[in-house]
This record gives sequence, C-alpha cells and structure tokens, in this order.
Amino acid sequence: MRRNFALPFIVILLSWHCAAQEYVVIGNKALPQLSVTQIRAVYLKKLPRIATIKTVPVNLGAGNPLRQSFERTVLQMGFQRLQSYWSRQHYLGHRPPVTMKSQESALAFVKNVEGAIAYIHAALVDDEVHVLYRWNE
Amino acid sequence: MPLTTLLRHVMLPWCLLWNITLHADSDYTLGEGIQVGDLPVYIGGYFSVDYRNRDDEQRYRVDDVAFLSYGGNDTLSYMLELEYKELYVHTQDSGNRTIERDTHLYVERVHLNYNIDDHYTLRVGKYNSPIGFWNLMHINVLRETTSNPVSSYILYPMFTTGANLTYSTFHQAAWSIDLIAQRGKAIDNGYNNYAIDRHFGIGISYEYNNFTCKLSGGYFRNIPRRYEQNAYYALVAAQYESDRYQIQGELGSQRSSHAFTTTYAGYLQGTYYMTERHIGIVRLESYQNNLLDRRDSFALLGYTYRPLYPIALKTEYQWHTRNSDNQLLFSFSVLF
Repeated sequence: MRRNFALPFIVILLSWHCAAQEYVVIGNKALPQLSVTQIRAVYLKKLPRIATIKTVPVNLGAGNPLRQSFERTVLQMGFQRLQSYWSRQHYLGHRPPVTMKSQESALAFVKNVEGAIAYIHAALVDDEVHVLYRWNE
Repeated sequence: MPLTTLLRHVMLPWCLLWNITLHADSDYTLGEGIQVGDLPVYIGGYFSVDYRNRDDEQRYRVDDVAFLSYGGNDTLSYMLELEYKELYVHTQDSGNRTIERDTHLYVERVHLNYNIDDHYTLRVGKYNSPIGFWNLMHINVLRETTSNPVSSYILYPMFTTGANLTYSTFHQAAWSIDLIAQRGKAIDNGYNNYAIDRHFGIGISYEYNNFTCKLSGGYFRNIPRRYEQNAYYALVAAQYESDRYQIQGELGSQRSSHAFTTTYAGYLQGTYYMTERHIGIVRLESYQNNLLDRRDSFALLGYTYRPLYPIALKTEYQWHTRNSDNQLLFSFSVLF
C-alpha cells in the first residue's frame, strides 16, 4: 500500500529530471578555469583579457531561449536590465558581445578562436573545448 | 534660433551622421551606435530637450546635442565626445523673456585607454571622474530623472584631465581601485562643474551579485584661485539592483582647508520597473551648502516612459522645504 502511494511521486520526479535540459558555458582550450563572477565579467566586457589572452564572448541571437536562460541564470540579468547596461556601455565606449546564429557555429568558433567563450547544450560538447560552468533548466 | 546657426550646428552634423549611416553596417540598433565601414571605429550621440516650470519662471531648453566616437582594439582604444551644451534656452519669468544660445562646441571627453594586462587599465585625457554611480551615467537619456541629484555636482569635479589608473579583480566578488590624477590645465574647463588645475583622488568599488558599494575621496584646486581654492571631498555610494527595482544612494561632504564648504549632500533613490517601458522613481535629497548659505531637503516623484530603451520621455515633480524651488520638469532624450 505504501509502495503504491509513493510510485506516482517517483514517476513525476523522474519525468521532471528527464525533462530538465543541461547547458554548459564552454571556453577555448587556451583559457584557464573561470569562476561564475569571471564568466559574468567576460560577458559584460569588464574583463577584456585573461593573462595575455583576449577574451571573446559569443552570444546567440536575441530571443533565443538558451540565451535567455544564460542571461537569467549566469548573468542574473533580465532583458530590460541588459538593454540598459549596453546603452550605458555604448556611452562609455564598449560594444556588446558578437552574435552567432547557432550553437554549432558558436562551438566551432570557440574551438578555433583563442579566448572565445560561448554557451551551448551539454549534449554538443566534445573534448576540444573546456567546460567552464554547467546549469540545468 | 537663426536659420544659419541651425544649419551649421545642428543640421550639418546630423546630415553627416546620416550619410555615414548609409555606408555603415545595416544591422543598426538604436542606442548602440554605428560602425564606420569595417574599421574598428563607432560613432553615435545623444540629444535632450527639457521644460521646467516654477512658480515664477518657465524654461524651455535644448540641453544636449552630442556626438560620440570610439574604437580601437583590446589593448588600445579611444573615446571622443563633443557637445553643444544649452544650445538654446528660452526663459520666461514675471514680465521678462530671455533667449540665450551657446554655440560653442565643447570637448566633453577625449581620452586614450591602454589595457596594460588583465588587472590594470590606464586612461589619459579628459574623462568622467570615476566617483559614485551618477557621475558615470549623468547624461539625460541614461538616467531615470530629468534632474541630477545636487550631490552629483557640488562635491567633486565631474571631469578630470590627466591620468586614471584602474586596478580590477574578479573572483567570487569584483573589486576595483581607481587612482585619479590631474596636475595642470584642463581640456575645456568651461565644460565642468569646477574650473580646476589639480585633482587627485582614489575610489574603491566592491561588487557582489546585485550589490555594489563605492568609497571615494580626493582633493582638487579651483581656478581662479579664490579664498576657497583647495577642496577635499569624500563620498560613499551603494546600490542594489534587480530586474524589478533598483535602490541607489550617495552621501558626501566637501571641505576647504578651513571649514566644511558642503557639510553634507546626499540622496536615496528607488526605481521601480513596472514594465520594460514604464518606470516609477522616488528620490529623497538633502544638502547643506555653506558657501551659498543654502540648506534644503526635498522629495521627487517621477515617471519615465521608454518606448524603446534609448528613447526616454520623463516627467517629475519636486517638493522642496524652500517652497519657491518646487518645480515640474519634462524632458525628451534619445541615444543613437
């Protein structure tokens, strides 16, 4: 009786776990391991270099659900706040990150460009890039 | 405004900008400037017009018309900002109407930046003094109220001509230290709240998640060298920001070699983002300026509408303890 009562909860938990998507922030092999604060600083163009390496953050297109998840979880900033931030940065002489159309092109860019950093689905990762951070949603 | 002045100072630069736009990247986003061809050079600008209504006076003003250019690479970059300040001011008080025009093109900022390594950046030229929050975003379109807090222009020089060395580090939290140094004549001293020939200061900033605090202090020397030629200032500032609201405060003091010139000046501002476009603001301010023998406390209630982020329509009302200073303000500003 007790087992029958618990079964639906186990099924719900398992299905929730299966439905959660895993994402990663990846970096070029030349980059060292970075903290979340450093990743955030790279994406906000506050950290233009790490040691001698120029950092090149890559965004997916505006409105991409993965980009929204990254901005919410890693940058901890919503759309309006980021718009405000980049308008201020334009006044201070800084540009927003470059944009790529797909995760595949972002992955290829990170493999080939020293200092590049991007975010993709965990399933796409291979051993030619560093995984810097993981999150689920 | 005479037609020739309008053509020379407003239409010509706009036509030039428009012409460059036609030859630039077509993926233009308002508020982010445009790239000049394939060069690492960007141009943009902003303008603002405002209206002020007091019991005894009405004022219409073309406040800012400014042009920006910046660019470079990850090691060396530049920033140039030229501005017409108070290009046209129409004031109407009891029985008198005055129109003033300032067609001088001021150098607001011009500096070179050198990223020495991942911790140190050196800036040389005329730059916004890195003090507090407000001074780094003081143009109309980037702030949420038409007016500036009194503490942002009576305590320290808004601009410095000289060197600025910044050390920053990012681990679990972000820290940065700014050293400010000016020794000698300033570039375009007419475009500053103080005409100075010396400024030495230090600022420390700490940022953790959505919380930031700053501590600044320094010394500057006024020209012409009057009685109160040397001034020392200190400012503490804190901010908490989320997607829905922002709370920001600054409190500072200024003294000469003999006594406090401004005993205190500060504000506490709450900003609430009702939606992306509709923003409500409440600000409380207080100051005591001993040089002008003036003391005031006031509350401000404001509303800003942004159809797009780089376009701002703002209104605010201020209630002062000095009733004659009560005022209503409107402004329209665009960043491009």
